[in-house]
Amino acid sequence: MSAGTTLVALLVAAWLWDTYAVRWWVVGAAIAVATAYVVVVPEWRYLVHRWEVTETAVYTQRGWWARERRIAPMSRVQTVDLAQGALARAFRLATVTVTTASAAGPLRIDGLDRDVALGLVAELTAKADLVEGDAT
Amino acid sequence: MTDPDPQPWLRLDPRMLLVHPAREVVRFLPVLVGILVAGGASGAGPWGLLGVGIPVALGLVRYLTTSYRITGGRVELRRGLVQRHLLSAAIDRVRTVDLTATLAHRVLGLATVVIGTGSVAADADEQLELDGLPREQAAALRVQLLQSGAAAADDAALPSGTPPVPVVRFAPRWLWYAPFTSGGLVAAGALIGVLSQTTELFAVRIDVTEDDLSALTGLAVLGGAVALVALVVLLAVAGYWVVNAGFSLTHDGGAWHVRRGLLTTRETSLDETRVAGVTRGEPAALRLAHGARLSAIVTGLARSGESGAVLVPPAPRDTVADAASVVLGTPAPMTAPLRAHGPEATRRRYVRALAGSAPVVLVLVGAVVAGASPALLVVAALAIGAALALAWDRARSLGHTLVEQFVVARSGSLRRRRDALATGHVIGWTFRDTWFQRRVGLVTVDATTAGGQGRITVPDVRVGDAIELADAATPGLVAPFLRLGSDA
Repeated sequence: MSAGTTLVALLVAAWLWDTYAVRWWVVGAAIAVATAYVVVVPEWRYLVHRWEVTETAVYTQRGWWARERRIAPMSRVQTVDLAQGALARAFRLATVTVTTASAAGPLRIDGLDRDVALGLVAELTAKADLVEGDAT
Repeated sequence: MTDPDPQPWLRLDPRMLLVHPAREVVRFLPVLVGILVAGGASGAGPWGLLGVGIPVALGLVRYLTTSYRITGGRVELRRGLVQRHLLSAAIDRVRTVDLTATLAHRVLGLATVVIGTGSVAADADEQLELDGLPREQAAALRVQLLQSGAAAADDAALPSGTPPVPVVRFAPRWLWYAPFTSGGLVAAGALIGVLSQTTELFAVRIDVTEDDLSALTGLAVLGGAVALVALVVLLAVAGYWVVNAGFSLTHDGGAWHVRRGLLTTRETSLDETRVAGVTRGEPAALRLAHGARLSAIVTGLARSGESGAVLVPPAPRDTVADAASVVLGTPAPMTAPLRAHGPEATRRRYVRALAGSAPVVLVLVGAVVAGASPALLVVAALAIGAALALAWDRARSLGHTLVEQFVVARSGSLRRRRDALATGHVIGWTFRDTWFQRRVGLVTVDATTAGGQGRITVPDVRVGDAIELADAATPGLVAPFLRLGSDA
């Protein structure tokens, strides 16, 4: 989806440049790069993306060129967040975001089926609730 | 602690009636000057009085509308006339208590209490700030706030009559380290900025003619440079002196107390159970002078409050080492030998440094090819030399270890740092690798925590070592995912 917006942005940029009478190869290159991005990157992201929830921890793996794997113990989970954009709703998808008390960033699980995501949120909330303390 | 009787609301110290109006007058000074000038010109006397009256009235209103109390395990603050604020925070969430006293406060024996709860609200309106309590009352409040918190169990924590022995105390020879910090440059920059503004303001013109330029001999240039350096050094030392004079780090009542300041004194208290670790900053310049600085990683105290977590300002390395071992309870995290990251990580440091200098070198070489003076090649060589030196130092710095339940990591060169984070405060792990890193089997590991910058980073460590570190630091957390982590 982000690839799509990138493509649109590039096309708009190319269009604007064109009105300033810059050569066509700029537009061509932009389209080629955007197309390659759209064809390759989502597929790559999909292949990399993993997530797993055990009794004790949440684990996510995402990215493409730069890959990031995050592990957070269940005892440190602070909030569980479910988000659905307009497009995601159309495809019945959802994104689950799990935050800890660290400022270094949350764990995100993108593009889950909505029912799976709802189940996951319920599961995480129940598990995180079992732990006492303020999880810092 | 849960008192059924509601506590009465307490006022700030009435002596603030002197401070507040004075401050308001200063704030309204431009307006006042305008009114006085205009009033003088038109002969309208009463308007001048109004100009003085409004700030004084504002100060009075602020005093009358601000009150606080401690009740039912919460500290509550009420303020505002038109827009009422009621702030309330649980005492067991209090992480830091700051006592600040400007010159005006000190003359009157007052102090401002700022209560830090680790809230992310940066808005000044949302801060728990009690501006103006008598000193003793402020100190007592601090003890009360921090003790009802996590340190309640510590029976030895009761404030005794004798002041505790400081762990670290300011010594004049610390001033030697001031020029090796960036403070002087910042101060000099600010001064130059102000000077250029004022010369513009007063329309002072410095005319430079060609004769002047030709009269500018090498000696004069040298003299100017020396004067500039002297100015920077002077400003750095002066700034360091104003901020850090009278510095002391003490441990009392279940908290660490940092006290410093020449004119405005500032006392920061960090709840000791929230100190998750320390960071020893050892930038290249400070290392040359055999100095270092120390700050605490405090749970719930975000990066913006970094200045609040200073444990030792730039000071001798031994002083910093002593302080670190007292704060952590063991000298090991700061002295233990680190595990090196191997030749792959070293090669990465060199490649990255050289790639960084490449544009400069290419431009210079291109210019020479295009007909510029070959002397530019010397500059290009210098750039490469600097990159190599940087890479050498960065590679040398890399290291990590796990010692006595502390994750220890060191990296960087110009801003080298050694972080020690207690494993009990590690609240997660992040493994990052780009395609280049995967190619040579390296990974950048973050141990995330709830304070400081949110994580400490171990860059470019071998995958095996990284997993070993994470598994040893938090047993059982990483192991279930190992199979998954090794594929893809």
